[in-house]
Amino acid sequence: MSSFHLMLPEYLVVGFVLLALLGNMLVGNRLRLASWLGLIGLLSSFVASASIWSKSLQPQVMVSGGIVVDNYSLLVNLFVLLAGIGAILLGWGERRWGQEFPVLTMISVLGMMILGMAGNTIVLFLGIEVLSLPLYILAASEHTAAGGEAGLKYLLLGAFSSGILLFGLALLYGALGSLSFIHFASLTNTTSPLLWAGLTLTLAGIFFKLGIVPFHMWVPDVYEGSPSAVTQLMAFGTKVGAAAILLRFLDFGFYLTPQWWGPALGYLAVLTMIVGNLLALPQTDLKRLLGYSGIGHAGFLLVGVATHNLDGARAMLFYLLPYGFAVLGAFAVLILVAGNQDTVTISDLKGLASRRPLMAAFFIIVMLSFAGIPLTGGFVGKFYLLQAALFANQPGLAIGLVVGTLLGLGAYLRPVQALFSVGDESRAVPAWTLSGAVVLIVAVIGTIGLGVYPTPVVHLVNLSANFFWLH
Amino acid sequence: MLVVWLLAVALAGSLVTLFMPRQSAKGAAGIIGAIVIGIYVALLMHPGQGVNVRWIPAWGIRFHLGSDGLSLFLLGLTVVMTEVAILASKAEWGRMYYFWILFLEFGSLGLFSALDLFLFYIFWEVVLIPIFFLLTSWSGSKGKRAAMKWLIMNLFGSLFMLIGIVAVAVIHTQPGGPLTFEISQLVNIHMDARVTPWIFAAFFLAFAIKAPLWPFHGWMPDAYGEAPAPVTGLLAGVMSKAGIYGFLRIMLPLFFPEFVQYQTGLLILAVIGLLYGAFMALRQTDMKMVTAYASLSHLGMIALGIFSLTRVGILGATFQMVAHGLMVGGLFIILGLLEQRTGSRDIAAMQGLNASAPRMAAYFLFFALATLGLPGLPGFVGEYLIIQGLVAHEVVFAVIAVIVLVMAAWYMLRVFQGVMQGPDKGQKILDLRAGQVWWIVPLAGLVLLLGVWPNGITAHAVPSLYHAVHLLAAKGGGV
Repeated sequence: MSSFHLMLPEYLVVGFVLLALLGNMLVGNRLRLASWLGLIGLLSSFVASASIWSKSLQPQVMVSGGIVVDNYSLLVNLFVLLAGIGAILLGWGERRWGQEFPVLTMISVLGMMILGMAGNTIVLFLGIEVLSLPLYILAASEHTAAGGEAGLKYLLLGAFSSGILLFGLALLYGALGSLSFIHFASLTNTTSPLLWAGLTLTLAGIFFKLGIVPFHMWVPDVYEGSPSAVTQLMAFGTKVGAAAILLRFLDFGFYLTPQWWGPALGYLAVLTMIVGNLLALPQTDLKRLLGYSGIGHAGFLLVGVATHNLDGARAMLFYLLPYGFAVLGAFAVLILVAGNQDTVTISDLKGLASRRPLMAAFFIIVMLSFAGIPLTGGFVGKFYLLQAALFANQPGLAIGLVVGTLLGLGAYLRPVQALFSVGDESRAVPAWTLSGAVVLIVAVIGTIGLGVYPTPVVHLVNLSANFFWLH
Repeated sequence: MLVVWLLAVALAGSLVTLFMPRQSAKGAAGIIGAIVIGIYVALLMHPGQGVNVRWIPAWGIRFHLGSDGLSLFLLGLTVVMTEVAILASKAEWGRMYYFWILFLEFGSLGLFSALDLFLFYIFWEVVLIPIFFLLTSWSGSKGKRAAMKWLIMNLFGSLFMLIGIVAVAVIHTQPGGPLTFEISQLVNIHMDARVTPWIFAAFFLAFAIKAPLWPFHGWMPDAYGEAPAPVTGLLAGVMSKAGIYGFLRIMLPLFFPEFVQYQTGLLILAVIGLLYGAFMALRQTDMKMVTAYASLSHLGMIALGIFSLTRVGILGATFQMVAHGLMVGGLFIILGLLEQRTGSRDIAAMQGLNASAPRMAAYFLFFALATLGLPGLPGFVGEYLIIQGLVAHEVVFAVIAVIVLVMAAWYMLRVFQGVMQGPDKGQKILDLRAGQVWWIVPLAGLVLLLGVWPNGITAHAVPSLYHAVHLLAAKGGGV
């Protein structure tokens, strides 16, 4: 297969970005041309990724080791394209943001796809920046004080973290004399302080994007101030991209020396799971709640990396999907309930069970998935992570995972109970929109499907995270 | 395959009620419950029909359902009590209520028939959800708090058990064994003496909280007190057996040496629960809470039977599980009907009601006598077997158990006398209607049948227990 074929998903996204830009120039915002082009572009890229995946190809290295196309990168493509499609659909009804929203979303998704196939540090940085720059703009697209604050905060902290990341990557190059992850592994027999500093700073930069605890401060504020569709993209897509590059970076570049980073990641994972879920408990604003819950879930993802075994890598990759479905579903409900409001608090959900029973039922299902109750995908994901932790003989991680889950329960059950309270009758009954309904139904089917019969996805993930040197 | 049909009909039925018109939801649920009972009767005639297929092969997880002497009668308890609970509920509670009741039936049936630990765990948590929503939406003013307490306390135990389950499976792979969650294969496990106590504790915590056994009953007063009477009946009648069943199905085969090691401590724990429940029952003024604490005391008694680690004690516990479920479930439902009519649960506020409601008084007395262990009724049979087992092991515990039996008579009769007898204060209530009598009579008949023909259960339970207990003997326990 030629390199053009292998890169087809990315080319498709780029092509539709250009088309949408051209279209915007020619016809303006008529007929929602940009949104349609964005949707078609991401969908076709999704189909292309899936069809290349099904050819079960050997890993292909291109651009002198900078880009690796393998099942892993293609699976990451599928996940981030799902997030992107979700974002475009959820943002469908918003006339306020204008025609740049789908274009920027597509560019950001492209960044995530690049992260999935990055094979050296340059492409890593490129991916992070292509992902982040459009999000800085999108975060501020709500023209309110909170929106401005979110955008500025994200921009400043994001730029700062990019600087740290870049510095770390430069130090790594200085210490190892190579840019390519694959070469790192054979060069890590030196223990220069330069290498230590480089590794630490690089990880800090990635952790910032992932929302791991000491680097999580931006998450709730940015989530709260950004429009919900954009928040969904950050919560699902960015997390997939950052988790994918973290796994690739450590399991390609530093698989021989897990003692350098494994314990640190383990402690951070436990800390993140506990702090994230603990801080989610007192939240009343649903977006902030989901922000803190996202931090907690980043901790769960980190468990998979910290175990440093094949099960862990697969469990992390698997966990992204139920988490993503739950995020899609939760934000779809949020947008439907919000109507023209800026924020949705828990008390806004009151009475939804009697006024919109189906919407309430779907919301309950995604919340139970966040909480990790059986028959939803969230449970199967946590079970896989638990398996990985115990196979790696790290009961501490398993206990941290359980404690984090228990703390999270309180946060996810309060909104669920609010559905059954008597609400303010003067509030308008939330109206269904077609795009919101589509996202919600897909999310719920995915959540239940993964919970009841996860076998095909387990198989898919096992074939995708097939790093032969891990065992 | 009949077991699968049992589950499938309950699940499909729960979904069907969701789409019923509001008024006919109760009728539909009743019909579905009756169909499930019909399937169960077929299962009774052709037992041993299970299903065992691959589910998630990558993790060695199988969809393995089956029924044996241990679970067969608990399945029966579930289908009967669910049907009674449906019939005892009000039609105006709406279709969501009946959906959750049938979903609870689905979960409980799965729980009692799962033979794969992963599958068992799925159902173990699935049953928490219907109760959570039933407490949230159809209970008293403090129902939401009770629901939270119920779910969080139970999940606290369950999640640690999940670690235990995965740990057991992982340890099973260490000497080169396959990754499996099949209970029958995991019993051959050889655990490191340093980790075994922790895994034992993880399982024990989950089962003790669900039952509940003292001192893990923190959720019980709220949940039992707040839930509508039929739901309390299901909680005390069916759900409490899930924890005990876990001891028998999973912990005894897996951890027999540890049971022997910790036996005295466990027996003391159970005895404290037995006494604590009885004393608390004596000083309650709320008739529902008397029964709730009585139930806690009875669960202590059942636990004593298991922890005696004698064949006859375990057999008594197995029998008492089913008997207690029917008796206490029936009692809670009668009390619920009484509460509906008087609008109160305070014993002091009621007096001499049997003048206006003689039929209700008769059934109340029947279930109360059965619960306190009158000979001829099943409570006596179970308690007799348990005490026999205790005598064989350590006579002190048997003496305490007998003393508590006397207390049981005291607290039960105190409620009955307070509410039904005494001078008639002129409070007129409606007696049981014919529409209610026709489902209480079969329930009472079933209780009576168990009392005079306990062999119906024990004869079936013995072979399964024999198998379990022999297995124990092979692992070094003297029985």
